[in-house]
Amino acid sequence: MEDLIKLLNEVKPGVDFTKENDLIGSGILDSLSIIQLVTRINDEFDVEITPLDLVPENFQSAETIYAMIQNAED
Amino acid sequence: MTYAAYMNFFAFVGIAFLVYLIVPLKHRWVTLLAAGVVFYLVLNGFLTAFLAVTVVSVFFCAKQLEKLQNGFNAKKKELSKDERKQLKNAVTNKKKAVVALAVVINLGILVFLKYYNFFAGQISALWQVCGFSGSMPVLRLLLPLGISYYTLQAIGYVVDVYRGRCAAEKNLGKLALFISFFPQMTEGPIGRYQDLAPQLTQGHRYTNENFTGGMTLILWGLFKKMVISDRASFMANTVFKDYESYSGTMVVVAVILYTIQLYTDFSGCIDIMSGTARLFGIRLADNFRQPFFAKSVAEFWRRWHITLGTWFQDYVFYPVSLSTPFTKLSKASQKHFNKFFGAFVPTAAALLIVWLGTGLWHGASTKYIVYGLYYFLLIMLGMLFEPLAVKLFAKTKINRKGKLWGGIATVRTVLLVLIGMMLFRAGNEGDFFNMLGMAVTKFNVTDLFSKQLFELGTDGPDFLVIFIGVVLMLVVAILKERGHDVLKSVATGRLPLKWAVMIGLIMAVVIFGAYGASYAPVDPIYAQF
Repeated sequence: MEDLIKLLNEVKPGVDFTKENDLIGSGILDSLSIIQLVTRINDEFDVEITPLDLVPENFQSAETIYAMIQNAED
Repeated sequence: MTYAAYMNFFAFVGIAFLVYLIVPLKHRWVTLLAAGVVFYLVLNGFLTAFLAVTVVSVFFCAKQLEKLQNGFNAKKKELSKDERKQLKNAVTNKKKAVVALAVVINLGILVFLKYYNFFAGQISALWQVCGFSGSMPVLRLLLPLGISYYTLQAIGYVVDVYRGRCAAEKNLGKLALFISFFPQMTEGPIGRYQDLAPQLTQGHRYTNENFTGGMTLILWGLFKKMVISDRASFMANTVFKDYESYSGTMVVVAVILYTIQLYTDFSGCIDIMSGTARLFGIRLADNFRQPFFAKSVAEFWRRWHITLGTWFQDYVFYPVSLSTPFTKLSKASQKHFNKFFGAFVPTAAALLIVWLGTGLWHGASTKYIVYGLYYFLLIMLGMLFEPLAVKLFAKTKINRKGKLWGGIATVRTVLLVLIGMMLFRAGNEGDFFNMLGMAVTKFNVTDLFSKQLFELGTDGPDFLVIFIGVVLMLVVAILKERGHDVLKSVATGRLPLKWAVMIGLIMAVVIFGAYGASYAPVDPIYAQF
């Protein structure tokens, strides 16, 4: 989880990702930052996030993103 | 649209609405399908055959996709992990081939009918530059109404079935209704099967809320289209047609009026169609969300023609960005540059495809390619300078989320959008650059007080009506931005309020609507795409 928070801060600095739980609704993550994030996740976590995973529910908070990564690892 | 065209449309809607209420609840969707068929046949004649090809091809492709997936699901429990993986890959490849078939058929029809002559012209020109004689023949091609909208909606449905986001429709008639729901046929919005199809096929009872909500939306849309848009079009048309005869100031005023015209035309027509759908108890997807309050160009496109933007996002940008070649590109960029560019380069490459597609979707000309590239460039610059902007804001301690910076960012975005609108309306990219040059070098404030301003088709009283209309729209938009939906409040409010607003809008359209002998009819702009 710490690695993910670090990565999120690199992609979108200045956001407290431990507290935010409406990243899509509040406009913090848009489609561009999602692709930048997913490209980095695929690379650094060695998983394969596919377009099928790119639904708003998976990107609402750091926790939902982390759950998506764990799901992809399985 | 002429006055008679509006009357014909609303008479048609009235008849369809009455029949819808008479038919038993279970079969009400058939009324909507029949209305769509009549609507399309009347407006399109034999070109309806193209729509039929889309419906049938998409229907069978989606069924095949589901069959392949069900076959895999039935077998997978009996297989070992490796066998399961092997079968999954084989089934996925077959499913991809089916999706490709649906895309080739439907995009093929669209590309051929809409772009053949453009590309043939480009290829012939290239051919002749290379010293060869001869050229590709120019064909007389007719474009079916709404093909740019229903094709994207149909492809979206097949991809959603492929992705498992919805089940394949088993009833050909119900799928035909989803693709040809008549209020959407001219200008969208581009619907998603999961959201729209259940609403269309489920019978809806009459409710006062739907009726007044629908009527208010229709009247608000008519107000935007007939009172503001059609009136603003006159001066814009005069100046854009012969811009070299006017000053830079007139060019700037014409661009502002055209922007008002386009927004009120497109959003007005969408309101009329959403209101029409609402009469039948159906809610269409939102296509606009106060676009001129956006603080960046990227945000503007998340608020303007939303359903086209999200379509390109879900069915082009995401899959292209995460495809194997782009993933390889990302790794190569990371190796040669740094982490930031590792993510930036593939995103930029995917966005280039998206913006070329968005530009070309609007029409077959180099002007629209330049239009797409203009927004691509602006978004790229925004992304490139974002890290620098973050540092600058931190150093200067300027509150980026504060009202002052928000206002500056909004004005900057509006100016950039106005330049985009100039390109969108100009005859070609050459005219655009000339007009932009005039707007910058030949702008003179005193021209705003000259008589000429009121002699270009839009006179003094017209300007006053446009001004009052825009202020009214602005108030409604500000309230909506703050969470107060005025139109919704009217629809659900007390009876005197409902009637006062509806009668007020009817009076405004009847008294101030730009129709009749003095006004040339203006067709909906986005219907031509």
